[in-house]
Amino acid sequence: MSVKLEEIWFRYPRNPKWILKGISLTFRENEVTVVVGPNGSGKTTLLKIASLLYKPLRGLVEAWGNDFWSLTGDAKIKLRRRVVYVHEKPILIKGTALHNVAYGLLLRGFSREESLRIAENLFTRFGVPYLKGKPASMLSAGESQLVSLLRAIVLNPSLLFLDEPMAHLDLGKRRIVLSMIRDLVKNGVGVVIATHDFSLAQSLADKAVILEEGAIAAEGGSEVIFEYLGQKV
Amino acid sequence: MIKEIVEITLRSLSISGAATLLASSWSIPVAYKISRSQRLSAFFMPIVEAIIGMPTVLIGLVMYMLLCSRGPLGIFRLLYTPYAIILGQAILITPLLIATSFRSLFHANQRYGELALTLGATERQAMKLVLTESTPGIIASIVMSFSRALGELGVALMVGGNIRGYTRVITTAIALEVSRGEFELALTLGCILITILIIVSLSLRMLRRLQPL
Repeated sequence: MSVKLEEIWFRYPRNPKWILKGISLTFRENEVTVVVGPNGSGKTTLLKIASLLYKPLRGLVEAWGNDFWSLTGDAKIKLRRRVVYVHEKPILIKGTALHNVAYGLLLRGFSREESLRIAENLFTRFGVPYLKGKPASMLSAGESQLVSLLRAIVLNPSLLFLDEPMAHLDLGKRRIVLSMIRDLVKNGVGVVIATHDFSLAQSLADKAVILEEGAIAAEGGSEVIFEYLGQKV
Repeated sequence: MIKEIVEITLRSLSISGAATLLASSWSIPVAYKISRSQRLSAFFMPIVEAIIGMPTVLIGLVMYMLLCSRGPLGIFRLLYTPYAIILGQAILITPLLIATSFRSLFHANQRYGELALTLGATERQAMKLVLTESTPGIIASIVMSFSRALGELGVALMVGGNIRGYTRVITTAIALEVSRGEFELALTLGCILITILIIVSLSLRMLRRLQPL
């Protein structure tokens, strides 16, 4: 078991509308979970709660057996370092793509030389060494997305949360990202993907969760996606 | 004459510069704190924004009452010294500094605060990232506040006293020369002030170009 959500209710400050209504889910390592649903169904909020960024208003977030929001200090940081969330719109810091990828390692106490070496290897491994010297401000949307994915992968998380990972990617980069995801799962990482692209969801999912207006409409293997679509047509 | 103009100009720059540094020392931490909390920002920011346009003579009057020999801060004998102007100008520009640096910090907190957390940063590391990413915005608000301090008259006149060779700054010198009918000198000082403000404004524009998109 990795991250378990129990009866999660969430709404944003000064907004009476509940974004998530009593969601209970478990995200495990070594499998691809796809969260599918139309825009505004609560996918991003669900991922941010499961990736230990947002505190729910009601409900329990259990991370590797610990009630996450009752923890403090180092214990909290230690668990948070096991999960990484990748934003739909990539957020890059000043500096080169290489610096961006190495940044998370620097935060975790790696030396500068070691961080840069590990980051460089990752660029080479995924066939994009030409990106590493580019300043973040000069990267295209697709390249930025790729760099933010590499920045997450380099941290070797137990669970990786990807919010619309294919949103800005062309066909070539989609292939790179798909191979990244398969590579990660093979190495025991749990990947959680939020998307409204049903065909992508169907091709990747070990487990599918369909969200509708903040509640789970269906849950199961990838076949539930077709069943759901069949009901909608 | 030229020597006196140079002296007044340098005094203006040093007093307003010191006031800006002093105000930055408390305004930026306050802005950071407010930017971290939606409740604090919802409560404080309308108040801060409302008092940006407070008349300088009103602040001058309050400062005068605080610093005069019978006032609560009278024992420090600051009235009619450059220190009184520094303190007064620092208070004057505090709301402007908080409001403008808050915008950069709030934006940076939204973007980079969450990013830092998900990359496993500690609170201190997250703060460092937010401050680094909002540096151009913070510098821009410091420069803007310096410009406001340099061009104000009310505080410098009321708590500085416009003492020749001691507390006379560009704006108080202009007021004095106008009252004397020395329009030529007043205009020269005015031109110097405007030149400085234009240089400050141009540097502000250059800094804005550095602001990340």
